[in-house]
Amino acid sequence: MSKIKHVALLSIAILAIVSCEKEIDINLPPSSEEIVVEASINQLTSTLNYVIISKTVDYFKPDLSLNSIRGAKVFITEGSILGKDTIFNISDRQPFIDLLDTIAPGVYVNPFFQGKAERPYLLEIDLADGRQIRGKTFIPKPLSIDSSSFWFEKVNKDTNAYFYMEWFDGPAQNNYRFAMLNAYDSIFTGWGIADRFYTFDDERINNQKRPFQMLNPFKYGDTVHIYMAEIGRQEYLFWDSFRNAANNGGPFSTPVAVKSNITGAIGSFTGYGITYKRFLLR
Amino acid sequence: MHRFTYLLFFVFSFVFQGFGQTFSISGYVKDSTTGETLIGAAIRLPNTSIGTVTNAYGYFSLALPNDTKQVLVSYVGYKNKIISLNANKNQQLNIAISPRNFEVNEVVINADRQDKNIRSTEMSRMELSGEKIKSMPVIFGESDVLKAITLLPGIKSGGEASTGFYVRGGGPDQNLILMDEAVVYNPSHLFGFLSVFNSDAVKNIEVIKGGMPANYGGRLSSILSVNMREGNNQEYKYSGGIGLISTRLSAEGPIEKGKSSFLVSTRRTYVDILAKPFLPDNIKGNSYYFYDMNLKMNFILSDKDRIFVSGYFGRDILDYQSEVNSSVNFNFGWGNSTGTLRWNHIFNPKLFVNTSVIFNRYELFNDFNFGVGGFKVRSNLQDWNLKSDFTWFAHPKHLVKFGFNYTFHTFQPGILSGNIGSTNISDAINKQYAHEGAIYISDEWQLNHRITLNYGLRAVAFNLVGPYKSEEFDNDTQLPTGNFIEYEPGESIAFYPRLEPRISGTFLINDVSSIKASFTQTYQFLHLATTSGAQFPLDLWVPSSKLVKPQLAYQYALGYFRNFKQNMYESSVELYYKPMYNQIEFKPGASLFFNQNLENEMIFGQGLSYGSEFFIRKKAGKLNGWIGYTWSRTTRQFDELNMGEPYFYRYDRTHDMSLLLSYQFNKKWSGSLVFVYGTGNATTLPDSRYAYRFGVDPNTAEPTFIFIDKYNKVNSFRLPAYHRMDLSATYIVKQTKKFESSWNFSIYNVYNRANPYFIYFLPDIKNNQVKAYMVYLFPIVPSVQWNFRF
Repeated sequence: MSKIKHVALLSIAILAIVSCEKEIDINLPPSSEEIVVEASINQLTSTLNYVIISKTVDYFKPDLSLNSIRGAKVFITEGSILGKDTIFNISDRQPFIDLLDTIAPGVYVNPFFQGKAERPYLLEIDLADGRQIRGKTFIPKPLSIDSSSFWFEKVNKDTNAYFYMEWFDGPAQNNYRFAMLNAYDSIFTGWGIADRFYTFDDERINNQKRPFQMLNPFKYGDTVHIYMAEIGRQEYLFWDSFRNAANNGGPFSTPVAVKSNITGAIGSFTGYGITYKRFLLR
Repeated sequence: MHRFTYLLFFVFSFVFQGFGQTFSISGYVKDSTTGETLIGAAIRLPNTSIGTVTNAYGYFSLALPNDTKQVLVSYVGYKNKIISLNANKNQQLNIAISPRNFEVNEVVINADRQDKNIRSTEMSRMELSGEKIKSMPVIFGESDVLKAITLLPGIKSGGEASTGFYVRGGGPDQNLILMDEAVVYNPSHLFGFLSVFNSDAVKNIEVIKGGMPANYGGRLSSILSVNMREGNNQEYKYSGGIGLISTRLSAEGPIEKGKSSFLVSTRRTYVDILAKPFLPDNIKGNSYYFYDMNLKMNFILSDKDRIFVSGYFGRDILDYQSEVNSSVNFNFGWGNSTGTLRWNHIFNPKLFVNTSVIFNRYELFNDFNFGVGGFKVRSNLQDWNLKSDFTWFAHPKHLVKFGFNYTFHTFQPGILSGNIGSTNISDAINKQYAHEGAIYISDEWQLNHRITLNYGLRAVAFNLVGPYKSEEFDNDTQLPTGNFIEYEPGESIAFYPRLEPRISGTFLINDVSSIKASFTQTYQFLHLATTSGAQFPLDLWVPSSKLVKPQLAYQYALGYFRNFKQNMYESSVELYYKPMYNQIEFKPGASLFFNQNLENEMIFGQGLSYGSEFFIRKKAGKLNGWIGYTWSRTTRQFDELNMGEPYFYRYDRTHDMSLLLSYQFNKKWSGSLVFVYGTGNATTLPDSRYAYRFGVDPNTAEPTFIFIDKYNKVNSFRLPAYHRMDLSATYIVKQTKKFESSWNFSIYNVYNRANPYFIYFLPDIKNNQVKAYMVYLFPIVPSVQWNFRF
């Protein structure tokens, strides 16, 4: 949809020969501040376990920082599922601490935290001013890649590289979030350093072999690290709306309200059941 | 409501009383050179108020006192004609009048007795001829019906790249757009840059923005009826034009001289071909063009019977070939097809009927290939329509119209099929079927020489029927619960019978001024699913259902009409007040494409529009044109938006002004000027932002994230005002009876105003802030077009 809209814009631009633009000043009234939480846990790597607390800022405030909030008490508790009940014991609380204060304040981590697949988790945040934020998530069972391949195609002076993967989308596989990083080093220090993101569900392809191929190729020689994650439904709805918000723009843009799966703040608490794969495209 | 119905029948029962000794004349008024019937031509007893005008098919019937010796026939742009009546008996006349030629002295159009705007009960109504539309200055020389009507007061344009128009606070889907009576669901080419109406084939257009007569319905805000030309039944003629982006060609002529005719009109854009050599490599793979074709045939079978066959077929085609991935390409197309078979029959001089069978289909097709797989997406909306409209010239003081209209709608919102590797994918949004019917009756009653009333009632019904499988969705997960209700073929899913009373009246103050008032109640059963504020090819029409109630509007209008200088100048002031209910919006960020649970994305609220419109028009003389000004306010209120507070509608424009001036310099040269001004659109801008999708760059140890916009108040920001001036000049190289050649030069946006198209934001890392940029589409654009006719 958005691709077609972009092509529509492009076509209009062709028609206009050149569309023009200029910088303008906009005065907006002050906004009301809200707390923002980005919490990520997984069963594979500790570099993707973190809780980030920040706040919204006035749109044109000359400040492009994270606007993080320090001094919060952050706990994540692993729970267990008994029948229809989910139980969290206060004794299982694990604190997340603002350890990286000097380089990234407001980023709460726990190097010893180890998420487990198919377990529920509770997030509790108490801010210094007394406000409370709560959220729950679940780390789904990671998917298992059945087959993969890659190939090359020469286009002009470049050699494009493509890869293809397949897995079985069974009843337990429903919602996906993939991230890819084209880099020599595979250390995935936060989802934000990835080059490409894919968020999708199994509405159209369900209970059968699930193929995956990108339209935008890599180049010959690239090393691509792929983090393929299963996520829960509410987490998917958050990241799907986030994707819409992140790609929103142009003449057909509409205000996008990002959904949330936490209370007391905007944002998400996402449990990722991650499968990692690396392609050496050479 | 019931009281009104009783009153209506009471009035109908008693109104038809005697009217002294009279006889009647009836027949068609046509152009003497082409044989085309003329709509709205005046037939009048000189120096009296007795008279009528031809209907949409060029037919009239007029009762005259027994001592009448002659009548005057007049029509703008044509020579007046006196018709002598031989005997005081009922008679059928087929009157041919001659167009004025282009000699300078004769270009001064005689506006004598053209006072229909004062005397008729119609208000909030405008007509434009195809010739007038073609003379207006336009960008790239492409004259366009939908661009032209936005120069009228109360009708606002959606913007430069939009043919969407907004009438008295209504949305673009609240306008019923008819092409030879066939509904056009998406009237745009080139993503809204041009409309589907080829002005070469347009005879005239009529816009009704309030006081809607009972014979029209189905939309809340307005009716735009575009009548296509019938073709010359006297001689073969060919015409066309070559412009910067398209070429047009038309052929017309008699099938049997004087009795039948045809018209074929085609056009195609070639901007894709011209632009390709100049485009950068990364977008060279794009090809975008449209073509369309109008066909019309007209057969006069007898004095009492005429048959018309008309059709339209148009397509927009966008081909895309990726430059970075040779296996990726897509082909995206959409278009309308319509067919109309019309039969005009005169039962007797007092009873005229038009019966039409109409087919129309809007479809969208999208093929997408990417090497190891591909998809095809199809969607369409199709109607079969049968209607009969009777005009009964019942009595010299009563003109009765009645009829019925039945439509069978088929909605196919989407079918998807394809594969990725060896995995086949197929999906379909459930098809929907609906019956929509209406019966109506209205009477235009001339109570005395000052007061005329037009009152009527339209009974409408909409029935959404099976076969249909209604799935239940979980509100929390937005996934199907597995529960569903299955409806048998023909079984009613949602049924909405409704009544629409209509009344309007004129009080003639004197021969040159009148006061008019009207009340209209309208329902709308089809709704356009769109979030972008402008109509887009992918936007779907959805029917009323159990959850989606019919839209409802009331419109109250009051107007003062005054002509000057023997009707050479028309002026009017109209006030309107229009509350609207069951209005539809979509949740912020709603996903509309291929969504089985589309209704879950809808929210329902109300709207209100009120305003005043001022209009002065000079109809005749070397210098003619109009100026229109509208002051208005339009709001919407939805419990789920803007914290439940009313907010400005996107196209709310406090001030809207348009000026059109045309001047005939001499035999060879004529020119036009357009100036438009409108308060900037109301738009929603983010009031704050936050950082998200965190990471730490392992090389620099710097945090990375992106900013997400957060919105608060809806449409609380105003874009800069829109204004521009256009000029055009037409030079007639040669004009004889056999051959005509002319050049049209135009300059769009003469003073190079940067009118806002949209605003976007970019972080400026160096200055540690976010900056706003406004994109505008068209700077000053000169263009030239050559037109010919032989």
